[in-house]
Amino acid sequence: MYIAWGLRILILGLDGAGKTTILYRLQIGEVVTTKPTIGFNVETLSYKNLKLNVWDLGGQTSIRPYWRCYYADTAAVIFVVDSTDKDRMQTAAQELHLMLQEEELQDAALLVFANKQDQPGALSASEVSKELNLAELKDRSWSIVASSAIKGEGITEGLDWLIDVIKDEQM
Amino acid sequence: MAPLDKKIKKFLKNTIRIAPKISDKGELAELRTGLVSQYPQTRKDAIKQTIKQMTLGKDVSTLFPDVLKNIATNDIEQKKLVYLYVMNYAETHPELCILVVNTFVTDAQDPNPLIRCMAIRTMSMVRVDKILEYIETPLRKTLQDDNPYVRKTAVICVAKLFQLNQELCVELGVIEDLKSALGDENPMVIANSIAALTEIYSLDESVVDLPNLIQTNTDKFLSALNECTEWARVTILTALSEYQAADSLEAQNIIDRVTAHLQHVNPAVILATVKVIIRNLPSIDGAKRDLIMRKLSSALISLMSTPPELQYVALKNIRIILEKYPEILSKELRIFYIKFNDPLYVKIEKIEIMIRLVDPSNLKQCTLLLNELKEYAMEFDIEFVSRCILGISQLAIKYADERFIQKVLDILVELLEPGQDAIKDSCCEAMCNILRHCPTNDAMCKQVCSILNSWASPVTSLQKDTAKCNYVWLMGEYPQYFPGLSDKIDQFVENFTQESSLTQVALLISVVKLHSTLSGNTLQTVLELATHDIMEVDVRDMAMIYWRCLSLDDSSALVEQLCNLHAPVINCSIDSFTPEVLERLLGQLGTISSIYFKPMDHSKHKRLQHQNIIRGKHIDELQNLAKNELESKNNDDILLDFDSESVATNTTGNPQNNNLLGDLDDLFDFGPSTTSNSTPTGDITSGLAQTTLNDTNSASKPSNTTATQDLVDLF
Repeated sequence: MYIAWGLRILILGLDGAGKTTILYRLQIGEVVTTKPTIGFNVETLSYKNLKLNVWDLGGQTSIRPYWRCYYADTAAVIFVVDSTDKDRMQTAAQELHLMLQEEELQDAALLVFANKQDQPGALSASEVSKELNLAELKDRSWSIVASSAIKGEGITEGLDWLIDVIKDEQM
Repeated sequence: MAPLDKKIKKFLKNTIRIAPKISDKGELAELRTGLVSQYPQTRKDAIKQTIKQMTLGKDVSTLFPDVLKNIATNDIEQKKLVYLYVMNYAETHPELCILVVNTFVTDAQDPNPLIRCMAIRTMSMVRVDKILEYIETPLRKTLQDDNPYVRKTAVICVAKLFQLNQELCVELGVIEDLKSALGDENPMVIANSIAALTEIYSLDESVVDLPNLIQTNTDKFLSALNECTEWARVTILTALSEYQAADSLEAQNIIDRVTAHLQHVNPAVILATVKVIIRNLPSIDGAKRDLIMRKLSSALISLMSTPPELQYVALKNIRIILEKYPEILSKELRIFYIKFNDPLYVKIEKIEIMIRLVDPSNLKQCTLLLNELKEYAMEFDIEFVSRCILGISQLAIKYADERFIQKVLDILVELLEPGQDAIKDSCCEAMCNILRHCPTNDAMCKQVCSILNSWASPVTSLQKDTAKCNYVWLMGEYPQYFPGLSDKIDQFVENFTQESSLTQVALLISVVKLHSTLSGNTLQTVLELATHDIMEVDVRDMAMIYWRCLSLDDSSALVEQLCNLHAPVINCSIDSFTPEVLERLLGQLGTISSIYFKPMDHSKHKRLQHQNIIRGKHIDELQNLAKNELESKNNDDILLDFDSESVATNTTGNPQNNNLLGDLDDLFDFGPSTTSNSTPTGDITSGLAQTTLNDTNSASKPSNTTATQDLVDLF
């Protein structure tokens, strides 16, 4: 029943990581020009017979505090990282771990996209994983996938993994 | 899955409702649980509940993020509900609205025109100038929308944008779109763009050349007029009333094309049409003019069959029109006769109209009105009766025939016979006014004085300042008809300090005039009282001057002169406007100015509109504002757990504190509701003190001016 009504998935990450681009890549399969999201975008999409409610929340410092309003009933979190932005990797790690401590997200699966792989100087998935201290995570299904939202690489792979995990957990 | 199964699931999904959990955290927590429920119908119910609380005046702004989550839906009803909520807080809590901006932009491209319209409308209501860069694309798109409903909303949004940020609005060039919208095929769009342009023009005349636009688009306006809604007609007609016709032919054409609207059901349309016609009337002459006048008069009469509130507005407007065209309703006196069930404010206004309407050369009509007024004067309501009695005296002065005036006096005497104290005030005023009109008629003076003299104690039986002042003036003017004069004067003098300023001034004048006949002390007492015990500057100054005149060495000639001064003869006791005010009021018929008889002041208008805007704040600051706001309202039930770090700096850091104070002031600026959670700072209290000061100033001003005016009269 729960699944039939739509799974709630959040896309989070610092500003400029490519969250909105990923969302619309999933929704319409194209690259759209975006502006910094003030507030949120939400789209419903069907993926492998599943109905997903995907919420893309703005990543600017001013909007981050509001993320927690959206945590309730969330099946999975997609955390997007700009792999070229080495300076802010620590901030991203902080935000991620802060978020995962939340009571409401204890059962949520985590998928990290190491995005912008098409750009020169991008860290690889494992490097990003290390920067984010993902190895520390206990009691949570998580995965990191190298991706490029512009080229459309890695997105479906990541989502496939996520759906499998969710299906395992919920059914 | 079988289709039936699917159907059942869909049905369940849409109908399941969860009974609200009773939470010990209070109603807000209950609503919050409902708002984030996984069952759509439950969420919708919770939104409705929230809006219900909101309309009851409860502050449910803390639920903002939760309500907002529900904006993403295909259910248009739910979307409208959320928009309703957002709109309510958009003006008072702009900082919260940063969460919605993205949704607005998306919704402005929705396939459903209703949603496009809601999005753009609400977006332009959020008074935060930093989010304006996001408005550009949606606004441009909606201005060019296929759907007229969206276009008509978008044109209004341009005006709102202009109010928020003039430079940006000019830079985006949307005003040009607005101008071209004047040529739109849809009359509603035309009307709204006129309204928007008028609004912009009133804010800054340099941006649009409204008069010129009106001149060039008159034809379009006239053809749009017949097809649009009543309120759009009012807007278009108002614009047309600004139009200066080139020649009498054109004026005639405009009048012909708008005349049909004189028969509209909506009084506002009628008044707007009257305004257009009156504007063009001066260039029409001869028989055509009479015809138009007849049509105007029947339109104005039709307004008299509306509910009393509208009648009142109509009467006020008729009063303005009558001043310019006294002949317009001359045959229609009967329409304004008072009905027993008219409310007081309509009754009084009707008397004003009748007094002005009556033709002073028509004895029959005047007699009719006199009898009518006499009838009214026998009713119970004191305020109405005194207005009637004054009306009778105004009529007498207007007709200006001594025989008629004698008749009026007889009626006043008749009215006084039952011995009611309450009407003595107005009778005294009325009689004195009449005497001032014909000061040479001895018999009449004698009659009036003997009546007034027979009143036992005028000091106590007369209540109003104006009545007392008239009585005292009369004693000073005709001392020979008051046998017990000095006793009466002494009574007044005893009470001198308790009287209002008009009576004090009158008493001063009378005592000075009569100083040779009164006992020696009276003059001295009055002058001393007036110079020592009275705070009113007018009275004190006057007493000073008299005293100096009297104590000059060779004063006898001067005093003689002073004592023989008489008040000027009154030829008209009906108030009228100055020509400039009248012209301006005629251009503002049907507006609130026409009710207060005060032409609109553009500079004040401008200042009022800038209150609710938050300028020059970055989104970070706004978020801070929002945070403080939510926190302070939500002490026991924390919604947003912000980093403890930033909170700490906010409460301990000095520079931050200053910032907070500034923010508090800002909050104070845009809504009284927020003052409850702010500690009373010096700024706020001084601000309040200032406003009260202003109030007292403005309250004391009018009384001053009237006092001085009356002084001038008395001299």
